[in-house]
Amino acid sequence: MRPFSILFLKELRSFFLSPMAYVIMALFTFLNGWLFVSMVRAMQLQASPRSLVHNLFASGWFWMGFLILFPLLTMRLFADERKMGTIEGLLTAPVRTAEVVLAKYGAAVAVYLVLLLPVFAFFPLFRLVTGEAMAFQNGAVWGSLLGLFLIGAFHVSIGTLASALTANPLIAAMLTFVFVMLHYFLGFLQNFGMVTGSVWSEGMSYVSTTEHMNVLAEGLIDSRPIVYYVSFSVLLLSLTHHVLESRKWRA
Amino acid sequence: MIEARHLTKRYAGRTAVDRISFEVGKGEIVGFLGPNGAGKSTTLRVLTCFLSATEGTATVAGYDIYEDSLEVRRRIGYMPENVPLYPDMRVGEYLRFRAHLKGLGYRECRAAVAEAMDTCSLTAVERKMIATLSKGYRQRVGLADALVHKPDLLILDEPTNGLDPGQIRQSRHLIRELGERHTILISTHILSEVEMTCGRVIIIDRGRIKASDSPRNLICRLRRPGSVLLEAKMPATAAAKLASIVGVKDVNPTEDGDGWTSFVLTTDPQMDVREAVHELAIAENWKIRELSSRTASLEDAFVDLLKDGAPSDPVESKT
Repeated sequence: MRPFSILFLKELRSFFLSPMAYVIMALFTFLNGWLFVSMVRAMQLQASPRSLVHNLFASGWFWMGFLILFPLLTMRLFADERKMGTIEGLLTAPVRTAEVVLAKYGAAVAVYLVLLLPVFAFFPLFRLVTGEAMAFQNGAVWGSLLGLFLIGAFHVSIGTLASALTANPLIAAMLTFVFVMLHYFLGFLQNFGMVTGSVWSEGMSYVSTTEHMNVLAEGLIDSRPIVYYVSFSVLLLSLTHHVLESRKWRA
Repeated sequence: MIEARHLTKRYAGRTAVDRISFEVGKGEIVGFLGPNGAGKSTTLRVLTCFLSATEGTATVAGYDIYEDSLEVRRRIGYMPENVPLYPDMRVGEYLRFRAHLKGLGYRECRAAVAEAMDTCSLTAVERKMIATLSKGYRQRVGLADALVHKPDLLILDEPTNGLDPGQIRQSRHLIRELGERHTILISTHILSEVEMTCGRVIIIDRGRIKASDSPRNLICRLRRPGSVLLEAKMPATAAAKLASIVGVKDVNPTEDGDGWTSFVLTTDPQMDVREAVHELAIAENWKIRELSSRTASLEDAFVDLLKDGAPSDPVESKT
């Protein structure tokens, strides 16, 4: 078996054997379930120009719960190995550092997707319960799924890098949280104190997560966010690889 | 099997390993001996590719540790100093994971793990969680991990660290057994261990090699004299006769109080004067109740070598 699949399965296994994964999943699903119901009720009372899908994923409550996920998922990835000393056993085995990084990253992304799935189960469930087939469009759901997948992959890569930078999982969690938040709020700069239509405002809208989701949640597959998130994830992962390799040389 | 040339590892403001060169031949059991902080663990980490050397090169089984790092790691079974294990896995599970990681296929992996567990007497605890294991068992799991892919070279960093005397004895026996099939490099500061298991000892201090030779030869090279303990009943004047034996440099008597006297004879380290003492005793009709030689031990050689502050040129000799 190739080292990547072995490490990937081992990481997955250790995620799902700890109770934390299930607690997070339950809380996240509960939060979004409550949010979903509130959204439906709100839209019943007052018609909205935007779809249910968009309203759900644009709401602040969703993002609050969403952004907290990433420090929790990634803090133990490398920091734990360094703290326990098992990084020595790992890197002296005949495996490439790149395989280690990709396996841990991949496992974290896989866990993230599993956590996300119950929320996306709400949509078919809604259709089943209410029989309202046209309440939202399929394209919007798929678009949101793609968007959240990409954004999640990017945030997990931030977390992976943060975890590799320190031997303390708590510091890794804090670093991840800070940078994830920073990036999210960067997206709001286009609204505050910036002349709409100016160069800065346009520039910021390229970076804005909110803007990305706005587009994708309508079902429009725009290549710009895709390229943005994929390229940043690759960048951060290669930085993680460098950080790990550089430990061999550093004092 | 291992060839190190001018291996150097520098940290900011400190040289942990300073241009050391040594060789370990196939089938040897070599001990890396030195005080804490001498650079033993650092050298081992460089050999196993966990750290990169600042200068110098080394090859393991002909593969360069920098160029062919993957091949080197396939041929080494490494047991780090603190035996890092995953606490949330079971023993058998962990060993199978490590076996897979080291490239064993599914079927051969099961057999290899079973064999490694058998060698290290772990079969009884296969299903136990690693977090619940005692220190002795943890070391054994670490050793089984190093053995599982049947490497040519075993590198063990302080393998009996923290074990109780009974476990140390078992461990020593195991290492001697393993020495028949593998090349072993052990790092330790426990002299008795080295004396009993290693065919050759490399003494390292403050990053430099002080000596590299078999334990016997190191003791023989000792400049300190040996000593012989004699407990005898003899007239007071007879003590002078002991001084006249060839090889006896000094006689140090103490009255034991019950009519017997203990003599500590300082002798030439290369000579065994006990026979001469015995013959003298017979001739003079003394009663002897103890005649033993306190030969210099490896500890004496070690302390002696290390007390020279100046770094000496390593005297290498392969036995």
